[in-house]
Amino acid sequence: MTEEPYRWLEAIGNRREYVREQLKGGSPVFAASLPDGILLLGVGTGHSKVFELFDRHAIAGLGHPADIEKIRQAAIDAAHLEAFNRAPEDVSLRRLVGFGLSPQLKTNFEQIFSAPFLVECLLAEVGAEPNQDLIARLHFDGAFQLHTKGVVVAASQSEAESAAQTWLNQTLAGKADRNGIVEALLEAWWCVTENKPFGDGLPSDAERRDGWRKAVNGRSIEVGWLVRKSTRRARYEELTPALSSL
Amino acid sequence: MSDPSPLAGDFFSLLARHHASPLRVAASPDAPVQTQATTVFAFHFADGVLMGGDRRATAGNVIVTDCVDKVLELDAMSLLAIAGVPATAFEMARVLQTSFEYYRRSQLQSLSLPAKVRALARLLRENLPMTMQGIGVVMPVFAGVDQTVSPPAPQIYFYDPLGAQFHAVGYAASGSGAGTIRSVLSFQDRYGQPRPAQMNLRQAVQFALRLLMIASEFDSATGGVNPDAHTFATIKVLRGSGVETVSAEKQAELLKS
Repeated sequence: MTEEPYRWLEAIGNRREYVREQLKGGSPVFAASLPDGILLLGVGTGHSKVFELFDRHAIAGLGHPADIEKIRQAAIDAAHLEAFNRAPEDVSLRRLVGFGLSPQLKTNFEQIFSAPFLVECLLAEVGAEPNQDLIARLHFDGAFQLHTKGVVVAASQSEAESAAQTWLNQTLAGKADRNGIVEALLEAWWCVTENKPFGDGLPSDAERRDGWRKAVNGRSIEVGWLVRKSTRRARYEELTPALSSL
Repeated sequence: MSDPSPLAGDFFSLLARHHASPLRVAASPDAPVQTQATTVFAFHFADGVLMGGDRRATAGNVIVTDCVDKVLELDAMSLLAIAGVPATAFEMARVLQTSFEYYRRSQLQSLSLPAKVRALARLLRENLPMTMQGIGVVMPVFAGVDQTVSPPAPQIYFYDPLGAQFHAVGYAASGSGAGTIRSVLSFQDRYGQPRPAQMNLRQAVQFALRLLMIASEFDSATGGVNPDAHTFATIKVLRGSGVETVSAEKQAELLKS
């Protein structure tokens, strides 16, 4: 009996290792809070990675498509019920993640006899002003961090994720040109997927530019845009067709 | 036994599962005087469909307000003009707004036009007990875009209180002032120069505002249009590309030109 807790701890440790192993090689996703809205970007191979959730909310995720789908559907159900029973203005990312998705993911992760969710994701809520933006980085075990500005990255390797996020926030500070930002995100995407360093040894501008262009061959770039000011209630737009100029 | 899962993309069944379904409340025979009476209409013009309505709500002989919007945007590609009891009609619009958007977001494609038309018919049928008691009748006009043809074509539908749906070829009208303007629409459609279907936006908005002026002359429950008092209508235009609202300022400008 006395060794049961240790077995459980070991099982959880194994589970964490298993999930990380399964997620290895997943294509990272990005969310950037800009003066005119929030931009979400992902590069997929047939399966979508960026989705609209509600009027001011969107999600981008990596992992098993079926698990991304379960998270997406759960978020859409919760947001629409909340909006219908109260008001669309009452749908908040803080509550959606903190009281809805995160506890469910944690419970699922700790149920050691059921399959874990193989998913890492970003959820975004566009505010009336840039300082009201919210981006949540949600992990497979239910842990999450909330960000109110800048660029947030979700990748399968935490070191690469952190390095890419730091580099992007330094590189894109004060920039608002959407095409330029998409280009920088794609360069960071290439560096993460090719295990290139972001500090010493960072590939040159030309290498990064050529690198992502070659790497996206046969894949699809998805860009979602949550526009800040609009007469429409639904703020989400797909920008993917507009990227042909890049 | 556990609750059945909601049908994928069907917001009605999601509501039922959470015991949050509206429009199933039995009416009391002692119900208060209802707020109603209206003129709403839609007609085809050269660019698409124009849908308009007056802004008055009445209860018996009392004017409750002259600031109601009876033409509502359900989603980027559909409009609803409500006539009848506002409490029920606004709730129907809210159910449809959430339902259409829920389907689009969860299924990653828009609901088809026939499905949207039937969704409204279903709500009207569910409202049958209130309709039969004479205190919850709703007779809406619906406009949506048929995406199966190229280019996408806006269409108009009208309903009877029991939920039967009818495709309107040229125009449809509902509410207490509808009888009057239906005659005008019919005349204009047959003998007008230009006919409504040939009108540009300026001509169509002018025609719509004049329709409401005429309706208000014969129906005290229709608010009408009074440019001197800056009282205008709710006018929305549905094209193959989506919805545009014609603001009061633009209506004033178009009426003058």
